Amino acid sequence: MEFLLELRTEELPASHIRAAVEQLEAGFRKELLGARIEVRALGTLATPRRLVVAGDFAEGQQDREEVVTGPPLSIAKGPDGALSPAGKGFARSQGVDESLLETVRTPKGEYLGFKRKAKGTPTADILAAAVPRVLGSLTFPKMMRWASSPFRFSRPIHGLLCVFGGRAVATSFEGFQAGDETVGHRIAAPGPVKAADLASYRSGLERAFVIIDPADRKKMILDQMEAALAPFQAKAYPDPELLDDLTLNVEHPLVVLGAFPETYLSLPLEVLSTAMREGQHLFSVVRDKKQLPYFLGVADAVGDGKGLIRRGNERVLKARLADARFFWDRDRKVPLGERADGLKNVLFQEKLGTYEDKTLRLKKTVGYLCDKLGVPEAKASAVEAASLCKADLLTEMVKEFSGLQGRMGGLYAREEGYPADVCQAVYEHYQPGSLEDASPASVPGAILSIADKMDSIVGAIGVGLQVSGSSDPFGLRRNAHGVCKVALDRKLRFSFPLLLDRVLAVYRDCLTVGRAEVKTACLDFFAGRLRFMLEKRGFRYDLVSAALGPGVDQIVDVLARVEALDALKSSPQFEPFILMAKRINNILKGLPAAKINADLFVEKEERELYSALQIIGSNAQPMIARGDFARAQGIIFKLQPMLNTFFDKVLVMAEDKKVRQNRLGLLQSIAKMLLGIADYSQIVVEGEKAAKPKGSR
Amino acid sequence: MSVQDLILGLHRFWAGQGCYLAQTYDLEVGAGTMTPDTFFRVLDRRDWRVGYVQPSRRPDDGRYGENPNRVQKHFQYQVILKPSPAGIQDIYVESLRSLGIALEDHDLRFDEDNWESPTIGAWGVGWQVLLDGLEITQFTYFQQCGGIDLAPVPVEITYGLERLEMFLEQKDDIYDLDWSADVSYRDLRLREEKEFSEYNFTAASVTMLRQAFNACQREAGRLAGKNLLLPAYDMCLKCSHNFNLLDSRGAISVTERVKMISQIRALVNDIARRYTGGKDGA
Repeated sequence: MEFLLELRTEELPASHIRAAVEQLEAGFRKELLGARIEVRALGTLATPRRLVVAGDFAEGQQDREEVVTGPPLSIAKGPDGALSPAGKGFARSQGVDESLLETVRTPKGEYLGFKRKAKGTPTADILAAAVPRVLGSLTFPKMMRWASSPFRFSRPIHGLLCVFGGRAVATSFEGFQAGDETVGHRIAAPGPVKAADLASYRSGLERAFVIIDPADRKKMILDQMEAALAPFQAKAYPDPELLDDLTLNVEHPLVVLGAFPETYLSLPLEVLSTAMREGQHLFSVVRDKKQLPYFLGVADAVGDGKGLIRRGNERVLKARLADARFFWDRDRKVPLGERADGLKNVLFQEKLGTYEDKTLRLKKTVGYLCDKLGVPEAKASAVEAASLCKADLLTEMVKEFSGLQGRMGGLYAREEGYPADVCQAVYEHYQPGSLEDASPASVPGAILSIADKMDSIVGAIGVGLQVSGSSDPFGLRRNAHGVCKVALDRKLRFSFPLLLDRVLAVYRDCLTVGRAEVKTACLDFFAGRLRFMLEKRGFRYDLVSAALGPGVDQIVDVLARVEALDALKSSPQFEPFILMAKRINNILKGLPAAKINADLFVEKEERELYSALQIIGSNAQPMIARGDFARAQGIIFKLQPMLNTFFDKVLVMAEDKKVRQNRLGLLQSIAKMLLGIADYSQIVVEGEKAAKPKGSR
Repeated sequence: MSVQDLILGLHRFWAGQGCYLAQTYDLEVGAGTMTPDTFFRVLDRRDWRVGYVQPSRRPDDGRYGENPNRVQKHFQYQVILKPSPAGIQDIYVESLRSLGIALEDHDLRFDEDNWESPTIGAWGVGWQVLLDGLEITQFTYFQQCGGIDLAPVPVEITYGLERLEMFLEQKDDIYDLDWSADVSYRDLRLREEKEFSEYNFTAASVTMLRQAFNACQREAGRLAGKNLLLPAYDMCLKCSHNFNLLDSRGAISVTERVKMISQIRALVNDIARRYTGGKDGA
């Protein structure tokens, strides 16, 4: 039977709609599952003013037989097998004929009881109770109160439509009695709309200028955009995020094409598109990657026959572009180098000094990184970029459009004629802004990006700012993800702990937390972030644990380790090898280091294992050193047959202490070599169970 | 329709909704929210409905009369309804229609925007209302003011009068607006914008402003101690305006900025606590 629910509200933000529909679907699924009601279909729809659940559920619960248990048989019956007063009392209290009583066997013993048919509850009754529970449990990124009630929700509620099998469900939520009526578009058709099922709801609303399905609205937007641009042979610059938001911002999309004076095309693309996107939610129009003096907006309206919506948007955009040009012209009157002097008045963090201090630190750190990465030729550019990169924080443009920070500096540097790689490094040094964002494309840009983020992380942790739960005021997680992503994307090989030492040294005595403590905290923090990133890429958590086992020295090696493990996880060799590695670990657990003396080997099998180890070890070492863990692992796996025979034929814990120590030493050097690749003991194999460790988030 | 007609129209409309029409407050403020007709009246449990015009000073927005949109003083029409009525969005839409706007021909949007004013410890949840992409109103369900959770919840509707008037007159330049049939916005305001931009950005004495800030801050604390809460609050408003001037003079570093805002907020929160019956607000 068909179920339809619509909660009508004041305009919800797009992010709240996304959060709500997910919770609604999960909430109803859970309620129905718990009530043993078959769910044939369940989905959600939404507009800014409506959260909608539509489904197809069984009419009611299946009738079923249930067993009612009474007192233990020893009490319920006398020695003669006749019912005792307790047994009779049970029958009476349950209203059941004594002839229907029978013995119920349970693990705890025998009881008096009986079976009865339980009639399934109708789904409508289940829903009547479930609706206020599911709606009442919705949470949003930011909640509010209104009028005189303490109730909190995303925005005020205006109505509840809830029908099952064509009839209104007898339920209510926050004082709104469920009915079978809603209303149309706020401006175009605000009158009532009746709905007995999804089809009539959908079509009734469509007549009232509300397109209830976000997928339909998205298609309308894309089709109208294409139609509007066809005569120009142009395209809207793709902005999937903006498109998704706009789809959730309107009930009846209307694409409006507008123009702006061509003279503003002299502004950089970045500035134009930001001015259009921020605040006014407009798409840029491009042909062959060149910006045209047009824009596309998405209105919530039926038509623009008089062109008033277009003209209104044109006027607003023109004013914004006039402001942007005012900033662009004024900013360029002061050279970046001169502007950078003003950074001494801008505080980076109370204990960590000004942005000028930060700039000086960055110059040192990028120099170090250029040396370590073997790119001395990039040094001059990277250092120059470091000295300029924060100057744009003082420009009018960045004060107005903070999202342009870095990029603006790069553009202004280009205008002033700085070398191209300096401009590019400044331009891209905030990248990547998220795990989805691209890493810097240039070497100096990548280096400056890492240096800037490391400086922020070490500084913040060094003055005791901690990341906990949802609180991350300094953006440390984003910065750490950025460092890891740049290293991984660009395959940069540098020792992470040594970089930490360097950044700590550059901070001199600013930090309030001891260096060793900061370093440990940073290593733990990065291990946690790498775990998060690798699990997000789909690697199994135990493989990630194994890859992190040897510690974070080279960031790129952590990925290479987990890839090597992942590539082999389904090979037949894998499991026996893991078990072998665990066996070695178990034997060695808690034992002091032992030395190998080749003369002390007694058995043929241990001598063979030893010589195999020497050969394999000398082959594997260079591979490990250059991060080729897949090949190293492949070679080391060859030890397995020899190890098998060793364990079959040789008693490790020999009576003779010297022989025993020698055998333990042999196993220790194998364990050590294994740990050069991964901590295999972390890997969970068939037949074992391990609780997932809590990752730090 | 002139600015004057617009004001009269809004007065008539909101008087019809049971609002008391307050007169403009006689101190420099950054927004209509900051005047006592809003600040104190949202704090208690009593019903309250008010509408008024409030000139709002934002020294940093001065453009020497050269920018067609930005001015260092603009006019807000401020409405407070407490508790927020259930149909308030419809009432608001009706107020636009009462100004003669045929909404069927336009794109009216309630676009997420959560207003906050750290200086007076206030924040709310709501939207900026966009008409064909132009922000004409800030629409806020007030959640907290002076650091105090508000119950009942007031709704605050703040129309930007110049913005709305530019829409109504279909003009691109603020100075081309008609204030009345024969007085233009240019006549009234251009000289003021030029002189005050000069004052805000270069001529104001930083020494005097700092002294004034400190003096008003001390005075606010002293008066609050005597439970003279309205005078104490006036002193906070003076602090806030002096702070804004210092900021536009470029005399405030980032740390100092945070510190000064939190100083004003501490005083304002203390006044709010005393006003609502808290003892000393410590």
